[in-house]
Amino acid sequence: MTTIQVFDPASCCSSGVCGSDVDQELVGFSADVDWVKQRDVAIERFNLAQQPMAFADNSTVKAFLERSGAEALPLILVDGEVALAGRYPQRSELARWAGIPLQEEVEESSCCGGCC
Amino acid sequence: MTKLKFLNQPPRFLFFTGKGGVGKTSLACATAITLADADQRVLLVSTDPASNVGQVFGITIGNQVTAITSVPHLAALEIDPQAAAQAYRDRIVGPVRGVLPDTVVKGIEEQLSGACTTEIAAFDEFTALLTDSVLTADYDHIIFDTAPTGHTIRLLQLPGAWSDFLAEGKGDASCLGPLAGLEKQRAQYKAAVDALADSQRTRLVLVARAQQATLREVARTHEELAAIGLTKQFLVINGLFPQAETAQDPLATAIFQREQNALAAIPEALSQLPCDHIVLKPFNLVGLTALRKLLVDDLPVDGENKSNHHAIQFPSLSSLTDEIAKDGCGLIMLMGKGGVGKTTLAAAIAVNLAHRGLPVHLTTSDPAAHLSETLSGTMDNLLVDRIDPHVETERYRQHVLETKGSHLDAQGRALLEEDLRSPCTEEIAVFQAFSRIIREAGKKFVVMDTAPTGHTLLLLDATGAYHREVIKQMDPSIVHYSTPMMQLQNPKQTKILLVTLAETTPVLEAANLQADLRRAGIEPWAWIINNSVAARTVHSPLLCQRASNELADIKTVSTIHAKRYAVVPLLQEEPIGVHRLLNLLRSSQ
Repeated sequence: MTTIQVFDPASCCSSGVCGSDVDQELVGFSADVDWVKQRDVAIERFNLAQQPMAFADNSTVKAFLERSGAEALPLILVDGEVALAGRYPQRSELARWAGIPLQEEVEESSCCGGCC
Repeated sequence: MTKLKFLNQPPRFLFFTGKGGVGKTSLACATAITLADADQRVLLVSTDPASNVGQVFGITIGNQVTAITSVPHLAALEIDPQAAAQAYRDRIVGPVRGVLPDTVVKGIEEQLSGACTTEIAAFDEFTALLTDSVLTADYDHIIFDTAPTGHTIRLLQLPGAWSDFLAEGKGDASCLGPLAGLEKQRAQYKAAVDALADSQRTRLVLVARAQQATLREVARTHEELAAIGLTKQFLVINGLFPQAETAQDPLATAIFQREQNALAAIPEALSQLPCDHIVLKPFNLVGLTALRKLLVDDLPVDGENKSNHHAIQFPSLSSLTDEIAKDGCGLIMLMGKGGVGKTTLAAAIAVNLAHRGLPVHLTTSDPAAHLSETLSGTMDNLLVDRIDPHVETERYRQHVLETKGSHLDAQGRALLEEDLRSPCTEEIAVFQAFSRIIREAGKKFVVMDTAPTGHTLLLLDATGAYHREVIKQMDPSIVHYSTPMMQLQNPKQTKILLVTLAETTPVLEAANLQADLRRAGIEPWAWIINNSVAARTVHSPLLCQRASNELADIKTVSTIHAKRYAVVPLLQEEPIGVHRLLNLLRSSQ
């Protein structure tokens, strides 16, 4: 079974309201994470400010941070391999990686609220 | 034993709250002594970094319960919120230091350096004291010289805040994020919050001075805490100027009158509360004897006190303004805690620059709007406008809720709403409104009565740095992209003036603001010590006493903290209108 791991940039608030203006993308992505979770896909998120050890313990993630810095997050690993970096995936990408059908009747995630 | 209302049949927990410098710690100490003298077993808990509770009692206390041998039945404990927050940061960051790149580690530390982290870390230290533990079983009363803010308590009450990360040790966090790294169980936090909201067990004493701005602020605190269940509240007006002192001293008369006017116009929310007045004492509140006398009324004025103080010459605001004027343009930001007079001083500097024929845009967040209204359109070269912090914050809240909150469920939305009530949110909203005007500072003077903290700037600049990279990648020819942060770091473009009062706690608070700005690579240009009595000639013994007390604080500022400084004397009349504002700079007598 596929495991998806999401390494988020540091933020003291998930909403980002205390700090930098987090993209609408992030809110849409959180909804997408719930969507794949409901389909029994193993997906995990780690926040750099709260679980830095998870970043340090994973050699792929650690090397990524050394090469590209925290600014290049988020980083998405699928079964331990880099699948995407620098932006959050679309729901369709999550579905493809997890090998589940993207049901058309389910509301599409609404990215690109002017931020992209 | 006393006729003070807040001391009448006190419950187990007593909290003193109010802004820095109003005398919370002195009152807490005096209350603890009074109760201990009445054979109650008392634990005094201080979180005031300037408290010197140990010094007051002549012993070292620190972060453990220590018996005060000079007062039977009394023990004390000092909590340092900054140290608690640091310990928390070390727990999270320590294991990855040297493992992850330094820049990454620094970024994480900054995320955990906000006021929220300090608040929550301090509350964590309280928790054990509020829940019946072995630690407190021996005491009848536990007295705190501070209280958690409404924001902290509400967060702890929200089920949504807890659902993920405390149960599972992860998930998305809010301002409560810091709690994720704290060890206590949710049940314990809940018990602590319940104890706070229980009027049988907890009494909240709001401490204020008889000043309009201070009373307004206290009224807000009262309403906020009452709304979440802390209904048992008392009000203490501390340090009231006695009428007996007003003879033959016009400044003393003016102070007395100003205080009486403030009391007469007390916000309605406060007028219903049981209220005690404590008269300003002609002695320093250090040592047992002095503290025992604080809560006793009608003391005769001590005959030993001086009744003559001659105005001391300090560097004046006028010479600071001369230096500012030389540059011809730039951004001038006044920064400091509420109630120190930032708005008035910003207006005085703006009016003075405009008077010299220089173009000035004054922007204030003046809550009362008096000043901006009286100045608008009265002078050539001077443009005045006002940003209402509440309006800006509300607009920002609505924007975030509509754009980012639309997908959230009820719990997630409640949490986002509470995050949006954090002090950071207001700061960001106001700063965003101000930053529209900042750009003008290349051509004229822009004077503002507020500035963002270093923490906010560092967080905001995280996106600034990112966007800079993006723009560079898109078009390598753009090299002169500059963020507000870069403008604020450049002393040629921006001067930050720290405003404080010549009192221990306000000076310490200003020094903390300075340290925070330095973390963001910003060096405050000067300090202004406002409302100084030492800079005036006075005859009232109380004012002479205050003048001599100020000297140590002014010395600390001039020798330790400030690159350059100015002292503005306490004025007899409120400096409203162009004429009086111009005089404010000149009147360094």
